[in-house]
Amino acid sequence: MNGTSAPAAHGTSLGRDVLKRLLRHPTGLTGLAIIVLFILSAVFAPVIRPGDPLRTTLATRNIPPTLIMNSADLERRGLSRGDFPLGTDAQGRDLLRRVLYGGRISLRVGLIAVLIAMSIGTILGLIGGYAGGRVDMFVVWLVDILLAFPGILLAISIVAVLGPSLTNALIAISITQVPIYTRIVRSATLALRQSEYVQAARALGSGAPRIIFGHILPNSLSPLLVQLTMSTGTAILDVAALGFLGLGAQPPAAEWGVMIADGYNRFREAPWLSIAPGLAIFLSVIGFNLLGDAARDALDPRLN
Amino acid sequence: MKRFLTALVALALVATAAAQTLVVGQSGLPVTLDTGQDGNSLTPAIQIVERLVGFEQGSAQIEPLLATSWEPNEDSTVWTFHLRDGVSFHDGTAFNAEAVKFNFDRWNLRDHEFNFVEQGRDFTSFTYVFGGYHGDPGYQIERVDVIDDLTVQFTLTGSIGFFPQQLASAYFGLHSPSAVAAGGIEYGTPTVGAVGTGPFVFGEWIDGDRVVLVRNDTYWGQVAGVEQIVFRGIDSPTARLAELEAGSIDIALNLSPESYDIVASSTQFRPVSAESDLVIGYLGMHQANAPFDDLRVRQAFAYAIDSEAIIDAFYGNLAQVANEFVPPGLFGRLNQDPYPYDPERARELLAEAGYPNGFDTEYWYMPVSRPYFPAPRDVAEAVVSYLADVGIRASLHTEDWGIYLENYSEGKFPIYMLGWSADFADPDNFISSFFNEANAVGFGYDNPTLFALISDAQQAGSLEERDSLYQQIAQILHDDLPALPFVNPRTLNGVWNNIEGFYPNALGSTVPFNTITKN
Amino acid sequence: MFAYATRRLLGLIPVLFGVSLLVFMIPRLVPGDPATIMLGERSSEAHRERLREELGLNRPLFLDFQGATERGVGALFDTQYFEFMGDILVLEFGRSIYSFIQVRDGLFQRFPATFELALMAMLLAVIFGIPLGVIAALRRGTFIDTGVTIIALAGVSFPVFWLGIIFIYIFAVNLGWLPSSGRISVTSAIPPGTGFYVLDGMLQGRWEFVVDALRHLIMPALAVGTIPLAIVVRMTRSSMLEVLGQDYIRTASAKGLSRRNVTVKHALRNALLPVITIIGLSFGSLLSGAILTETVFSWPGIGRWIYQAIASRDYPIIQGGVLFVALVFVLVNLIVDLSYSIIDPRIQYS
Repeated sequence: MNGTSAPAAHGTSLGRDVLKRLLRHPTGLTGLAIIVLFILSAVFAPVIRPGDPLRTTLATRNIPPTLIMNSADLERRGLSRGDFPLGTDAQGRDLLRRVLYGGRISLRVGLIAVLIAMSIGTILGLIGGYAGGRVDMFVVWLVDILLAFPGILLAISIVAVLGPSLTNALIAISITQVPIYTRIVRSATLALRQSEYVQAARALGSGAPRIIFGHILPNSLSPLLVQLTMSTGTAILDVAALGFLGLGAQPPAAEWGVMIADGYNRFREAPWLSIAPGLAIFLSVIGFNLLGDAARDALDPRLN
Repeated sequence: MKRFLTALVALALVATAAAQTLVVGQSGLPVTLDTGQDGNSLTPAIQIVERLVGFEQGSAQIEPLLATSWEPNEDSTVWTFHLRDGVSFHDGTAFNAEAVKFNFDRWNLRDHEFNFVEQGRDFTSFTYVFGGYHGDPGYQIERVDVIDDLTVQFTLTGSIGFFPQQLASAYFGLHSPSAVAAGGIEYGTPTVGAVGTGPFVFGEWIDGDRVVLVRNDTYWGQVAGVEQIVFRGIDSPTARLAELEAGSIDIALNLSPESYDIVASSTQFRPVSAESDLVIGYLGMHQANAPFDDLRVRQAFAYAIDSEAIIDAFYGNLAQVANEFVPPGLFGRLNQDPYPYDPERARELLAEAGYPNGFDTEYWYMPVSRPYFPAPRDVAEAVVSYLADVGIRASLHTEDWGIYLENYSEGKFPIYMLGWSADFADPDNFISSFFNEANAVGFGYDNPTLFALISDAQQAGSLEERDSLYQQIAQILHDDLPALPFVNPRTLNGVWNNIEGFYPNALGSTVPFNTITKN
Repeated sequence: MFAYATRRLLGLIPVLFGVSLLVFMIPRLVPGDPATIMLGERSSEAHRERLREELGLNRPLFLDFQGATERGVGALFDTQYFEFMGDILVLEFGRSIYSFIQVRDGLFQRFPATFELALMAMLLAVIFGIPLGVIAALRRGTFIDTGVTIIALAGVSFPVFWLGIIFIYIFAVNLGWLPSSGRISVTSAIPPGTGFYVLDGMLQGRWEFVVDALRHLIMPALAVGTIPLAIVVRMTRSSMLEVLGQDYIRTASAKGLSRRNVTVKHALRNALLPVITIIGLSFGSLLSGAILTETVFSWPGIGRWIYQAIASRDYPIIQGGVLFVALVFVLVNLIVDLSYSIIDPRIQYS
């Protein structure tokens, strides 16, 4: 994927075209469906599974998923199949409720982190690409430094400085994702700066903001959106990884990584504790990846 | 696929255990073998270095170890120890009074040539037991003198009747002076290891992987029953249990008490715990500041928590609700009833104190698992949930263990959890550690009468006198409720059935392993 | 070629300078006094002051202008940063605050563990990834192709630490086939050598040791390898598709060469070039994966070490570890870049 393809005249018709192609793409549709499902379940978590996801009820602790429990066990425990479909944790909290609420944290933090990264990355890329010279060298230098760290290591180092918390994890993940966007926008800007129609616009007296917002940004939009989709998945994975290591969301938060860590402490006795949140992460991430993949195909017809 | 499976099974059969290697799984590898302060460091170290005074097998009663006998002067301010003859360190250095003096001076004197303080080394565990380094407020050891080759004399700053008990603390294994001098700052690290007089000799330490100790065939006492010990660090208690089940470790130390049933129902291994452990976990409230400056709020806190239900849930059947700060098994107790669970009463007390709608606060939980709180986060989550029910809304926080200890002592935590595993069997080890003038700051608790009583109880001559003084202290603590005594737990270890002779005592599993045999 | 290599190497200098700057700042950006953190709360002020003196924490951070005017230009660089730089140039990262081990020694001991894990994961990714990618390309548009594509997408969507836990639960706890933690059975004496256990065992002909090491490696390597596997599959597929559409392949087919011959001799060889690049580039995700997975498997590597050091704020280890991993990562990328130009002589660097 690169930003050097010939600039299209107008974003809107291209957009409609892409959307149409995207929706005809079976994997894209699947991805979109998964994402919508997760967003809905996160938004309506209090309706689907009313109650406090944090409240301890020691009387109901360590119940295996009633969904797959055999009838004899159900009877012995005096439970019905719908009571705790995914089981309960060591605090007696309903796992289904926690997984649903967990979607709120992961999706929100993932999206915010990516949007921050995209904004900063775009600004840096525009500045570098448009200004050129020393400014550009500086931007490239910054990007190269950030890319010299394997992603999660950079995030861990940042949290080591800021201290562990969900907010700091969000900041750390944003920073690790900045370089991708800077690269995309910078190369698009570089290519367009030399293009005839930007030269022409300049000759006609258009100022930098106008050129940037009128020509350069609309043309980098499609690779940016593809990247946005893909890296939301990565961000969700990283939120969970930091939560798992105790460097992100803090207990008793219903966060998927924290829940997996809970399960890891009891994988011998209560394997269901980590299975459900792990699958939730996997499904939501694959949703974004399927959509991103389809979007990439739709936007870059050469690959078809 | 089938061939792949066969290959896997074949692989599984390859690793067969060497007969005379004892593999011990603990929650981490040592931090240092040189006078550490945590169990992961001390359990391997105590196999290598020995103390002047030891414990009887499986008990917290002291008995001679490298000292054969000792006697105090009239008021217990000067103690003379007679050393075991014919003992030498693993490197050939003779064990004598000079070596004893070297070790104690190294711990006690800040400007000692070989304590490497300049490079950042410190002996915090020494200050736990002996009040501080020489010259600190409250320090205990004034001077160590060599009387003759096998006699050494300790001059104390005051009267201490239980000085030999203090010396039996697991921290005070004696190291070879020449090895310390040669090792420099690297003494006690994987590069150099440690040199003592004990039943095992340091073999190798593969950083991050294992520590290997080899049998000392010329040990002065009972030569060990196994040829070598391998210590492995496996962070998670569940992973340790899984390794025990797989047979890749022989002894799994400090399993989660919740796993008791699994360990007890196995036909291949068994649970091993001491009869009782001298351990207490408590919940602290900082009462220099509102709202915990109000006794009624502290009482409400106590009534709000169903300690019994929480302990049932997270301690297997290996613990009981604590009623006072000196654990059962020691003198100086009143045997009071613990506060009952009574949320209604808690709400009333809060309303009386002027908090009919409750209040917001912070609960700081321990980042590490300790015998008193093997699952600190679980307990914290449950406690916070109970508190929320009566209107005390506490958010959960944690931080690095070192910083945690610092911040609690500076009174930065409104609510927190902490505890104590005895270093030696005496009420003073608990009461002073919590409530002497220096330490009571951690609770924001200021009671000069109590401080004076603690000092009296420490120095009193007869056992009866001390017993009654500690009972008075217990009554004051019950009335003032500076913190809520929460749990007296026992530690759970899993041991394979072919292993005999592992005797953890009331002070923990930090015991010499020379009695262990493997069949 | 030589000129290009030199230029790439020189280009690394500013990047590594920036990396060192970041790593230098880690402990200095943390709120609180480093001396107090290192010595603990019970230390005396005099004691802390001595340590600050010792560590040079009282000196200026970057440039000492005052010192330069008083004591000459040389003093300009008598600062914390330049001392740090001088130290790291000789791989001197200091000692752990708690265990006093030389960070360099610890890194050298742990590096082979992490690297062996990463290499094994990569090996699995290549062994399984390339054939899958080729098959998908040859059967383009069939359900096999769709299946492979979905597997590839799934591969990048797993949380690797979670996969590790699931593997342990299945293969260690339930089936009892594989060990759940560590690099080697404690009953195996470790032979002196490179620290790469599989390699050491093979070199010394100790096959039982090799087998033992492999048994410990397989689960973490599978977990770590899923992401690169997925990446390799995708890249092989699209690269094969591109090559298969080229004129010379069509010509070869038209000349009547067997399909197998065309695929292997002509198409695959050319299609592999971008795959090699992507293998190099996914080394970052391998290292990331290893860092996360080491914790789950009690793997004695650099990642777990850094992570534990963060918990205890052991800054020399954090700094040394982070710097070392970044350095390895940058070097691997460089090597990939250079080898690419060797493998494919058509590429001209000017």
